[in-house]
Amino acid sequence: MKIPAIIAAALAALLTAAEAKLNVVATLPDYGAVARDIGGDKVDVTVMAKPTEDPHFVDARPSFIVKLRAADVLIEGGAELEVGWLPPLLQNARNPKLETGKPGRVIASEGIRMMNVPTTLTRAAGDVHAMGNPHFMMDPIIVKAVAKHIADAFASADAANAATYQANYAKFEQAINAKLQEWGGAMLPFKGRQIVAYHDSWPYFARRFGLVSEIFLEPKPGIPPSPSHLVKVIADMKTAHAHAIIVEPFHNRKTAEKVASSTGAHIADVAQFPGALPNTESYAAFMDVIVARVAAALKE
Amino acid sequence: MKEILEVMLWPLVACVILPPLLVYLGLHVVQRGIIFIDIAMAQMASLGFCVGALCGLELDDPLNIAIALGFTLIAAALFSFTNKSGSEVPHEATIGIAYVVAAAASVLILGRAAHGDEEIKNMLVGNILLVSAEDIFRIGTFLGNFLPPMKILNEPPAENMHGGFLPGTAWWFLLVGLVHLIFRPQLCGVSFAREQSHSQGMRVRAWDFLFYALFGFVVTSFVRIAGVLLIFSYLIVPAVCAVLLARTMRIRMLIGCIIALIGGVGGMIGSFYADLPTGAAIVCALGVLLVATALVAPLIHRMKRAQR
Repeated sequence: MKIPAIIAAALAALLTAAEAKLNVVATLPDYGAVARDIGGDKVDVTVMAKPTEDPHFVDARPSFIVKLRAADVLIEGGAELEVGWLPPLLQNARNPKLETGKPGRVIASEGIRMMNVPTTLTRAAGDVHAMGNPHFMMDPIIVKAVAKHIADAFASADAANAATYQANYAKFEQAINAKLQEWGGAMLPFKGRQIVAYHDSWPYFARRFGLVSEIFLEPKPGIPPSPSHLVKVIADMKTAHAHAIIVEPFHNRKTAEKVASSTGAHIADVAQFPGALPNTESYAAFMDVIVARVAAALKE
Repeated sequence: MKEILEVMLWPLVACVILPPLLVYLGLHVVQRGIIFIDIAMAQMASLGFCVGALCGLELDDPLNIAIALGFTLIAAALFSFTNKSGSEVPHEATIGIAYVVAAAASVLILGRAAHGDEEIKNMLVGNILLVSAEDIFRIGTFLGNFLPPMKILNEPPAENMHGGFLPGTAWWFLLVGLVHLIFRPQLCGVSFAREQSHSQGMRVRAWDFLFYALFGFVVTSFVRIAGVLLIFSYLIVPAVCAVLLARTMRIRMLIGCIIALIGGVGGMIGSFYADLPTGAAIVCALGVLLVATALVAPLIHRMKRAQR
């Protein structure tokens, strides 16, 4: 009789502990990783997209709606990356805490100066994101701003633990600042060098570390490269003395291998999201691996 | 159960009210032996949107929608023209070729078009879980022009949602169902009794064209909310189950609807509790039902024979 009672008590304690935690939903793994660092054990973070998944095409599951209904805070990029699947999920979840403008809705791109924002909206220049390039989480300094944004949102949703969140943010900022020295040092020898990307997801990373990312294997997002485009890429790489190609898990590695074999370039298998590569669960660990892999490909 | 209703109310509604027409069309399609017609039609409509994008039109531009419907009609004309009885070339070959060429042509065109790649791709990978009340019941600004203002059904679509111009899927289905009801003798004639219709002097090709055109509208409006996999399963699996179990049209229709309902609702509940992608769960549930039917069918036939 006693044991079931203890179990029931433990369960009840667990449940209240679970209830007491702030329910956080992050659309993409990078926001999730930062949210975990800021929230610590005071929050329960759910990430929708898998780190190896193309963020444009996320397979929505019923639990997403359940989580959104119970969420206190939603963190999204807001720069058109999740536009295909998040609005209908939110519509079905009908959670007033997450309405636009409420403190529970964190739009990470707010207050960020985006790169490659089209000056005119004719969209004749190609498939452009009207709000600018959405891959800003590849710049650790921008990530600090996003972390602050998240800490403020947590603090206003859960005032009792506000001090903890701000303290965690201070720790996060310090850690990133220390790491920035390290990462900058690792990248310093390659200042001005070209990195060839499959998709234009690296402009923020390149800008932060003094690299150049202007050559892309795909002629346009989602369009497989034509032979003439690859010929042009190979010629461009030779004139730019580009020796490093970076490929993400959901891109076609064969194209990169082909181009690498005719230019002698080296391929770095990288990712945009923490957790996509082994031992990259936190943002700092993730950036460690990315910097190391890109540096290795540039060195050879 | 209450939670399922709260989370998946509109997908459930869609899986209850929409499949009967698909089952009915599926019986036609299976009888005609043109299994891949749905994918070919969806791809042709998608090609139409690509051509519109090449001309710089936005996806929900009325002109672009008209172009897509135009391509559906071209496909309908093509399929009705090539459907000659006794021809050396199987009709399914023409349909398959239309599919691959349309798919490849969209890739070529998208390389040139200024924008819209992702959205056009999204049209073929619709997700039943994300269906909203507007997707199903919206009147749309197009029909709204002809109707007195109705507040409940004519609300503007939510932010970032495409397609506020066309009416919701339910109205398309209603329209196509009505036309099928009105011309039932002719449309059933060309599907189920072709030789007889020929000999009676019916204009088979014209009725074929109407059949394919209506079919194209249904596929194009359903594929956007449910995706290619799901529409294919809804058309073919219940119809095949029904053909295995029964002979008359009426009972086949009844069996098909029951299979579609069990598969749809069962798959959806399964996807909720096991947290699986909903569309794929429904497709697999329908597949399991087909296997079960195929196992049970011989027993039923044997029992019937024994009774006689």
